[in-house]
Amino acid sequence: MSDLDRELSRQGWSRRDLAKFIAGAGMLVTLPAGNRVFAQGAKSANLAMIGEPQSLDPMASTADLVSTIMMHVYESLYTFDKDLNAQPMLAVAMPKVSADGKLYEIEIRKGVKLHNGRELDVEDVIASLKRWIEMTPRGKSVGASVDKMEAKGTHGLIIALKNPVPALLTHMALPSGYAAIMAKESIANPLVSFIGTGPYKFVERKPDQYVILTKFDDYAARSEPANGYAGKREAKIAELRFIPVPNANTRVEGIVAGQYQFADQLPVESYKRIAATSSVKPVLVMPYGFPYFVLNTKQGPFADKKIRQAYQLALNDTEMMMAAFGDDKFFKATAAHFPKGSPFHSEAGGAVYNKGDAAAAKKLLAEAKYDGSPIRILNSKQYEFHNRMALVMAENLKEAGFKVQLDVVDWATLVQRRADPAVYDVYVTHSTFLPEPMLSPPQLGDGAPGWWDTPTKKAALAAFNAESDPVKRGALWGKVQEIIYDEVPYIRVGDFAALCATSAKMTGFVPMPSPAFWNVDLA
Amino acid sequence: MLVNIARRLAAMLAVMFIVATMVFFLTRLAPGDPASLMLGDQATAADVAQLRKTFGLDQPLIVQYVLWLKEVASGNLGQSIFLQRPVLQAIGERAEPTFFLALFSILIAAVIGIPAGIASAVWRGRHADQVASGLAMLAASIPSFWLGLLFMQFFAVRLGWFPVAGYGDPGAGLVQRLYHLVLPATVLGIVNSALITRFTRASMLDVLSEDYVRTARAKGLPEHRIILRHALGNTLVPIITVVGLTAALLIGGAIITETVFGLPGIGNLVVSAVLRRDYPVIQGALIVIAGIYVIINFAIDVIYTLVDPRVKT
Repeated sequence: MSDLDRELSRQGWSRRDLAKFIAGAGMLVTLPAGNRVFAQGAKSANLAMIGEPQSLDPMASTADLVSTIMMHVYESLYTFDKDLNAQPMLAVAMPKVSADGKLYEIEIRKGVKLHNGRELDVEDVIASLKRWIEMTPRGKSVGASVDKMEAKGTHGLIIALKNPVPALLTHMALPSGYAAIMAKESIANPLVSFIGTGPYKFVERKPDQYVILTKFDDYAARSEPANGYAGKREAKIAELRFIPVPNANTRVEGIVAGQYQFADQLPVESYKRIAATSSVKPVLVMPYGFPYFVLNTKQGPFADKKIRQAYQLALNDTEMMMAAFGDDKFFKATAAHFPKGSPFHSEAGGAVYNKGDAAAAKKLLAEAKYDGSPIRILNSKQYEFHNRMALVMAENLKEAGFKVQLDVVDWATLVQRRADPAVYDVYVTHSTFLPEPMLSPPQLGDGAPGWWDTPTKKAALAAFNAESDPVKRGALWGKVQEIIYDEVPYIRVGDFAALCATSAKMTGFVPMPSPAFWNVDLA
Repeated sequence: MLVNIARRLAAMLAVMFIVATMVFFLTRLAPGDPASLMLGDQATAADVAQLRKTFGLDQPLIVQYVLWLKEVASGNLGQSIFLQRPVLQAIGERAEPTFFLALFSILIAAVIGIPAGIASAVWRGRHADQVASGLAMLAASIPSFWLGLLFMQFFAVRLGWFPVAGYGDPGAGLVQRLYHLVLPATVLGIVNSALITRFTRASMLDVLSEDYVRTARAKGLPEHRIILRHALGNTLVPIITVVGLTAALLIGGAIITETVFGLPGIGNLVVSAVLRRDYPVIQGALIVIAGIYVIINFAIDVIYTLVDPRVKT
């Protein structure tokens, strides 16, 4: 018996065991990555998301991540096409609306199966909409105008309003804190079973690891061609795995290595690397959102309109966007709050946008008798682009004669402090782009931080909100935008794009603010 | 000895009470409100107030503290605000990757650090010492996130030998899950080996200058036998201390490494809870981590007595 045999025998191993171990280890090192590390079914997709969803209840959270995942499970009566116009989804068609804009008659599609096998009817819709009105901020704002909701037969819905709500369909179509239609028997607080009508059904959630959805075989698709989120939906990939990957660099490495087939919200700095990798395609969603600065109009220096106007004149928005996003393919500095093609596109009031005019700002400050109180800029490094814009903003303001104090806090602190008018003069935030003015920013409503509340605002918005005709609403929005540039309750800095990436094998992916994976396939 | 152990256990309970109190009040001292974060921009002040009431955050701080302490004393760490599940369950779900990551990291750190420290001491001032000490200095200075990204780039992206991140596909077996820990454990092992190398070297140098080592040499014993049989055993006490405390820190969550490698561990849980101000999770996780730390310290003291009869408990 050799020394080796003796040692092996002491360990309880034979030579054959040793050979197997060595061969196994060798295989581990030499097998190509695709065979070993990233083994997954041919029709499953690993989707690297920005984090763990707060909840899977689309009404319990307004976080985009929740809706991005759950819009595959739950559908709404209306949804958006690629131009962000509301289109029917579970509704048969656009509603019949009375001449005074107060009565909506909606017919619900027949033959639509819920994930528990039962057919959807109007009772499910009413129960879901009531929950939406009770639970979500948007639902509550709509609910204040709802007089009653009632069934008409098994698939007819009547909504009677106390006053016209021109943005009703847009509210119902929005996938954030959204009016998801769910099986009435599944409705509970908290939601424990997720039964909708979408092309995918919920299978499993393992916190911080994945949420798995699988194809719903009995899905009843619409017949119209796919258009944005609207039209025909087909689950071509059998299993979707939404994987939380909070570190953006890890998402980049993961998609380059082939571990993920989709990676959401990547740093703009990674664009060149992704574009240079043949197995990956960069995708830009433009406009994805807009950064904006909210001014405290209630107290402090910015309670004076002239000082707010001086602040606006001092800002160079292009410089701030460049500092934030690094390359002009990722942003657009524009005075219009809505892009060309939108009924709300207008340049009204925009002459004062992006001036960076320190001399004119100084003149206004002198007229306003600015007393040199420091402008407290509340911002968070948790969103790096916020901080970079705040730094440029501070320099612009100093040049114009403002005293500046940068208060950098974490996001949770900012969210709390922005509700206290005593502790800041301006805070930095952003919103995803939404197609209807009244949906964002919240400063257009009542009581939001910044406390913008003037007779001109009220009159302009009252006229805008009372009008149902889209063309007239467009013109009325121009008036509101003009007042925003005059009274400066907030500065909308520009539009920015989101960068995400898909595997080159992924086909049919349409860039939209919330990525959707129906009609998407893997070659 | 039993009396001593009982005394130590009583001290551990006192430490845990102080930790619980500090954790509660320090957590609440930080500004931020989970209700505002959860409801987002569109929520009204009334919505936020209502949600705060639901979570009991509207009550005076001292009332919240007493209620929470009662629950903790009965073994209930509360309910997560965001995860909608008990804190203990949330911690339990994340314990496995953190435990194995800590275990493998410590093993790798010890396998690198102890021999390197011995070699460095034995060949003091020579090339081996300079190389080992230099590498230990480098390992101690390298930020773990940077080394993690470097390893990820090379071993996962370029060579494709390991997964970039995560803890295995759905339904993955233990071997596949552990396979996902190779890169992060190696990174942590390298970073933590520096301290073990330095401690081993210093301790070994002390022992090598002892009379009994000189005597062994005078008796003509081979050098490797002197090092391994006579000197190494006596260097173990400080090495056990540093290995034990490093293990405790790692079980507490190798926060940065877990984040970079997307591991669903306790470190990741604590980070997201802090960012969201999920008070029950922050408090619960910190108490569990502190408990583990205290227990490991206790275990180290007990092990001392086993490896060194001069130490009494």
